[in-house]
Amino acid sequence: MDDAPVVELIDVSKVYQMKAGDVYALNHVNFSVRRGEFVAIMGPSGSGKSTLMNMIGCLDVPTSGTIKINGVSTTDMTDDELTEHRLNTIGFIFQKFNLISLLTAYENVEYPLILKYGQRDHSERVKKLLRMVGFTEDRMQHTPYELSGGQQQRVSIARALANDPTFLLCDEPTGNLDSKMSTQIMEILSDLHKQGRTLVMVTHNPETAEYADRVIIIRDGEIVGEE
Amino acid sequence: MIVSLALRNLKLNKFRTILSMIGIVIGVFAICAMGMVSAGFTDEMDNMITDTADTLTLSPLGEKVVGGHTAVGFSEKDVRNIESATKSVTKEYELVPYYNTYKPVTVGKDLLTASVYGLDSNDMSGLVTLVSGTWPKGGTNVIVGEQFAEDNELRLGSRISFLGVSGQEITCRVVGIMENTGLLTFGIATDSSILGTTEWYSSVVGNNYGLYDKIIIKAYDPEDLALIDEAVDKKMNGKEDKDSDNTVSILNSYELMDIFDEIMNMSSIFTTVISGISLLVAAVAITNVMLMSVKERTREVGILRSIGTYRSQILQMFLYEAGLIGLIGSVFGVALSLIVSPVFMMIMGLEFTAMFSVSVLSYIPLGIVVGLVVCLASGLYPAWKAANLNPVEAMSTD
Ligand SMILES: Nc1ncnc2c1ncn2[C@@H]1O[C@H](COP(=O)(O)OP(=O)(O)OP(=O)(O)O)[C@@H](O)[C@H]1O
Ligand SMILES: [Mg+2]
Repeated sequence: MDDAPVVELIDVSKVYQMKAGDVYALNHVNFSVRRGEFVAIMGPSGSGKSTLMNMIGCLDVPTSGTIKINGVSTTDMTDDELTEHRLNTIGFIFQKFNLISLLTAYENVEYPLILKYGQRDHSERVKKLLRMVGFTEDRMQHTPYELSGGQQQRVSIARALANDPTFLLCDEPTGNLDSKMSTQIMEILSDLHKQGRTLVMVTHNPETAEYADRVIIIRDGEIVGEE
Repeated sequence: MIVSLALRNLKLNKFRTILSMIGIVIGVFAICAMGMVSAGFTDEMDNMITDTADTLTLSPLGEKVVGGHTAVGFSEKDVRNIESATKSVTKEYELVPYYNTYKPVTVGKDLLTASVYGLDSNDMSGLVTLVSGTWPKGGTNVIVGEQFAEDNELRLGSRISFLGVSGQEITCRVVGIMENTGLLTFGIATDSSILGTTEWYSSVVGNNYGLYDKIIIKAYDPEDLALIDEAVDKKMNGKEDKDSDNTVSILNSYELMDIFDEIMNMSSIFTTVISGISLLVAAVAITNVMLMSVKERTREVGILRSIGTYRSQILQMFLYEAGLIGLIGSVFGVALSLIVSPVFMMIMGLEFTAMFSVSVLSYIPLGIVVGLVVCLASGLYPAWKAANLNPVEAMSTD
């Protein structure tokens, strides 16, 4: 069981049926991620990177093929079972941060904790997570609009870690940040990797990809290389 | 957390929330106010049924010539005829002919006008109830209604005076106080009345050339009452009657009650339609606001779903929002109706205390439940729509 890949894609395709014809966002992709690995995915725009991440993240289902999370196929899962996976085993970090604008930084991190463990005092853990990503304590009651991009991304990393996920999915986590901020965020992700976390990250930036153990190149929905 | 998100969204869009609430406030107000007023009326009518529904009130029609004078009333012969018609139906009845008019009366220094009644001492106990004192005897004893006594600070033994038929002042003693019947009654409305013997009445008002002003017939079985109604009508107004004119107008309390019931039913249908329309308008407004809310928060829903929020929780979040609009709106609607209905009731002649009956007050929970249900139903489709958004697509909208 421990040897089973955390994520395994077997012959996965995603087809969008458009008026102009079928679009293969993913074309028979085979790919797996082992526990503790840090995998980067690179490729041109529209090559299917986000589609791939959404599949792994149980946000979307493939047209054909099988996805296994911790060795269990998600093919026949109901929406609730997929949601449970997102809640318990996956942490998302997005390019646009995707914090909930109605909630404060603190509450954004607290939210998954309440979802997973119920309504009780999570302040210890929330503060610990925020400290871990270097988020300044005096900003905890601020809403996302009052925070810089870098600060928002820190909060979103803390939120992704809140449910203690099996793996983290980062879709261009530094895409909206300047290079200084990018480096800081990558340092945090790299630290997480060193602590034994499993990460899958999409990036355009070769420098960012340097942090990964392995880089997968994708083009037109197909994996064309690995380095 | 889900609840607090719903709350915050409502707060964030205060103006929109309040606008959508106005619809439900008006709808619930319409239901409650109209319902309360008509319930108050029905209650009052129901009391009247139990108190005085066993009554036929006979009024004379047409003029008579008595000793060269024209007058309106029932003669002794009319009374005998009516009684014999009544007897043909049942032995168990009460028939009371009486005099009644309005008459100036001096109480202390004030000159007022009161409704005065004259009837046989033996008949009094069948028509009115004493709360204190004794029945009047002779030419200078009267009993007065509770309300009249209170308004004019009269007690047992108090004196009031009239200008008699022959021009002399007649001072009378209050020997009894009658229980209030309320203004809605088929018998004698006692509240602001003065009642005495026929002897007293003759000296104070005159005897109307020996013609009675009204006759009340009571029977204890409603079916008998209908038969008496028929028999009297036949005898006095039908072919048996020698002159061709109708001489009696008969007011049957049961028939009147039926008419009243019909009016109440009609008005309750009307009320229901009006309230239904206003609630429908409110429902459309709320659905609209909720759809807007879903549209605006599509991205948020996508994010919530991506980090493990279940469909059912998204559904709940929007239903909380709709429910909260409904709850607050209907509480305001009910509160408004609690202020307005008693005013209406009092304008329409009911006591303020008519508010405090079970059937009136039951509109409070009813209004809140109806408002809540309408809002939840209106929110159901938008909430369902939000819950079934595709998370990936939802997240990519701006
Ligand atoms: N909902 C959709 N309907 C139709 N086509 C879609 C949809 N989502 C994605 N696609 C198509 O699938 C392909 C892959 O899209 P995807 O978003 O995965 O690309 P990407 O590699 O993430 O690109 P970028 O680097 O610009 O983010 C594209 O050609 C895109 O047009
Ligand atoms: Mg992408």
